[in-house]
Amino acid sequence: MNAPKDPGLDTLRFGSGHTVRRIEDPTLVSGRGRYTDDLAREGLAHLVLVRSPHAHARLLAVDTEAARAMPGVLAVYTGADLVAAGVKPLPAPPAAFRRPDGSPVVSAPRRGLAHEVVRFVGEAVAAVVAETRAQAVDAAEAILVDYEELPAVTSLEAAYAADAPRVFDAAPDNVVAEARVGDAAACDAAFAAAAHVVALDLVNQRLAPSPIEPRVTMAESEPGTGRLLVTMSNQMPTGIRDTLAALLPGMEKSQIRVQVGDVGGGFGMKTGLHPEDLVVAWAARALQRPVRWRAQRLEEFMAAVHGRDWRTRAELALDAQGRVLAMRHRTLANAGACPTPTGCAIPIVLGPYVAPSVYDIPLVDLHITVLATNTAPVAAYRGAGRPEAVYIVERLMDEAARATGLDPAELRRRNLVRADQMPYTSATKQVYDCGEFEKMQAQALALADWDGYAARAAASAAKGRLRGRSVTTFLEWTGGNALTEKVQVQVRADGIIELTSATMPMGQGIATSYAQLAVDTFGVPIDRIRIVQGDTDRATGFGSAGSRSLFTGGGAVRVASERTVDHARDLAAQALEAGVDDIEYEAGAFRVVGTDLQIGLFELAGRQPQQHITVAAEATAGAASWPNACHVCEVEIAPDTGEVQVAAYTSVNDIGRVVSPQIVQGQLEGGAVQGIGQALSEQVVYDASGQLLTASFMDYAMPRADGFLDFRTVFDTSVPCTTNVLGAKGVGELGTIGATPAVMNAVVDALLAAGVPRTTALALQMPATAERVWQALRQRRK
Amino acid sequence: MPALTLTLNGRAVATDLAPTTLLIDLIRERQHLTGTHSGCDTAQCGACTVLVDGRPVKSCSVLALQVQGREVTTVEGLPAAAGLPDEAMHPLQEAFMACHGLQCGFCTPGMLMAAAGLLRHNPAPSEAEIVHALEGNLCRCTGYVNIVAAVRQAAAAMAGGAGADAGAGAGAGAGAVAGADRATAAPGTPAPWIPSARAQGATA
Repeated sequence: MNAPKDPGLDTLRFGSGHTVRRIEDPTLVSGRGRYTDDLAREGLAHLVLVRSPHAHARLLAVDTEAARAMPGVLAVYTGADLVAAGVKPLPAPPAAFRRPDGSPVVSAPRRGLAHEVVRFVGEAVAAVVAETRAQAVDAAEAILVDYEELPAVTSLEAAYAADAPRVFDAAPDNVVAEARVGDAAACDAAFAAAAHVVALDLVNQRLAPSPIEPRVTMAESEPGTGRLLVTMSNQMPTGIRDTLAALLPGMEKSQIRVQVGDVGGGFGMKTGLHPEDLVVAWAARALQRPVRWRAQRLEEFMAAVHGRDWRTRAELALDAQGRVLAMRHRTLANAGACPTPTGCAIPIVLGPYVAPSVYDIPLVDLHITVLATNTAPVAAYRGAGRPEAVYIVERLMDEAARATGLDPAELRRRNLVRADQMPYTSATKQVYDCGEFEKMQAQALALADWDGYAARAAASAAKGRLRGRSVTTFLEWTGGNALTEKVQVQVRADGIIELTSATMPMGQGIATSYAQLAVDTFGVPIDRIRIVQGDTDRATGFGSAGSRSLFTGGGAVRVASERTVDHARDLAAQALEAGVDDIEYEAGAFRVVGTDLQIGLFELAGRQPQQHITVAAEATAGAASWPNACHVCEVEIAPDTGEVQVAAYTSVNDIGRVVSPQIVQGQLEGGAVQGIGQALSEQVVYDASGQLLTASFMDYAMPRADGFLDFRTVFDTSVPCTTNVLGAKGVGELGTIGATPAVMNAVVDALLAAGVPRTTALALQMPATAERVWQALRQRRK
Repeated sequence: MPALTLTLNGRAVATDLAPTTLLIDLIRERQHLTGTHSGCDTAQCGACTVLVDGRPVKSCSVLALQVQGREVTTVEGLPAAAGLPDEAMHPLQEAFMACHGLQCGFCTPGMLMAAAGLLRHNPAPSEAEIVHALEGNLCRCTGYVNIVAAVRQAAAAMAGGAGADAGAGAGAGAGAVAGADRATAAPGTPAPWIPSARAQGATA
């Protein structure tokens, strides 16, 4: 028998709810990870792109003759070549999105290589494939492109102006799509009758997701089958396969296999197909050679999708007691030059889902206009719509507290959806299954010593520093509207249980969490579990995005594991010649109850004709999960420099059942640092002519190790999600969503407390860089 | 083509290469050690950090010929450089795992090497010194909290005896006291032969 003997306590230690060493880690810390750029291929050719230096220009001619003659060059492609070959543009937003006149959404074709017109700096114009990367770079420099510059527009205000340059002709007013969510007339009436009305102009600036691993895509003919094998760093391999099949001429899904190895961070940016992926696939097919492209960081800043980029006029109406009566948003959202499906869905669909957040806001009127500009496309970045919307409502809440004279915690408390209102249907028609928001807030306020703030402010003042604070209560919607996952379990004779899933690891430790869930059911040591992901031949499904993997995929792990034990029990009954009802399973072995007759799970697998026991099962969560939290943040500002430092950060997080505590804490705190990055330092900047001014990590300021390191992070697991088998709520984006308003509200509080005029303090937009804060402080009343 | 000889993870390497070859390309493409990662190509993210004579260096911005005759340690050689068997984990690697100091793992080899360079010269760093040593290395996942904790834990473990000499190298001399070594690489006086060393932990 090769079943593990009496794993007992040792095994239980690795089940869910315990912190275990991640099964991903030994490989990664020893430099043996398999990121796409690490893979060797015989005869690998290298693809390099020529990119537009102009934000908007007609492509008059692309002269590739000299480049073709350069040493080592295998092929040069232009947009015209791809069009002639029948390669289609990337998917446009679905027609369900509408323009203001009710006509369908419009977009410019987002092609592998630009054809006839370029619409943003960095759009790829031509591709060179050569034997070495250096040869490809040299040849790319020999390509001569004749541009006729056209007027460009980059900011939302400029794009929405009456006489704005057109990004593409299908949208004469640059309006891609528009939506109005809620009840405008009822909202107007509520505002007219309100005791207090507050209004803010808020910018959710453009961000670069910036996983540290740049995008890498390799394509080749699969040995043996001749199919197109694409290996890349991506969160949704099945979607990549299906999209490639739709765009490449004469290809079927069955002729394409997508594999993903280790992914060096995704953050939503690596969800969809990028134009470069299409060109690489095309080139490998045309040349019948393995072809790889690795983005340089400059290309990531220029041509990978960006996130956020909204401007919102936000208003809140309250009664005399500080109860919110209604909320209005007038939002302009920048979709970039070639609007994508997610670029429309994020502002029009996902933002409104959470716009009222944890508050019982009876009426909303959310008016959203998605605009095209001569900038890189905007799509998903960690949170995708929820950070924007939660930022807006949390900034409004603080302003409302000032207007009503209430403590910001008390104002929020008065408006929280109560536990006895669950399940609760929000003003944007979302159903929260559960949540005890007031309980989270009370715990966070106590833990952060909210009432003892005056002493800390005085201590800061004694050091010559300005202090500010905030309390942020919020929730988020998770699941990506893709609630079904399938998992295959295979118990092998060699003592391994292999689980296969189409969800993707990208640093969030999902393989470890799945393994822990499998340990729960099988009762075998965690080193017996293998998780297989990232191969469309092994599993197909939605992939990993929207904080969905654990509560959907983990649910499927649970269900598939239990069904495997049930099926194996039948097999054990036969093997032990006993009735199935007399068989009990524990810790890797089936026993006939009350006897010492038993057979190990793995031995049983070895007795099957195929040497394994295999069961696949699907699980569907009933709805999105609604993780929520209360963050309490304090900042200190150095008045001489304007530098903001986070001084204290406490969060109490209602995240349902926790499988891997250390991983969850890492998601929440690492996520919070990304949110702090948006609040304090990160911003993609284009100048008015469309030149990208933040094209390296020197200019795009991500948090470094000198930031805040002292988070106090608490989980409250007492409110399990009621709509999935695990009771888990998604945690991948929660920390990011809360941290941005938490820090900005604290900064504004510090400025106001320091005597900065209201108009100046409220005009401060993210990122609250030292320079901006210093400028604001200069307006202080003497 | 010029000839290059160096010691790579304790092994003598002699090769001819184009003078434009970057150190990272020598390591990844010619020596097939893919633990050293390229994240930005411009010495800003630190994913490519290796030790050259015991000091952290961003290998994406150094010509291979600049390490002529030097001792280069990559993440694959980290345990051996501390006198541990190849299959063993260096205390830093152990600590990164124990503290959840990595998520996607892409920046991790660079973090480990920057930290190894720090601990080699400063075996008992303060938190501020750890932070300063890691400022040239970007991590997008962890928020650095657990990375700093891991370096602190590794320092404590190494002070306890295991694998005390991270990243052997001839340059700075084993056992150099922290203060003296820092003085040789104080800000504003970068090691003359490697421009990118200025932004590195060696200046801590």
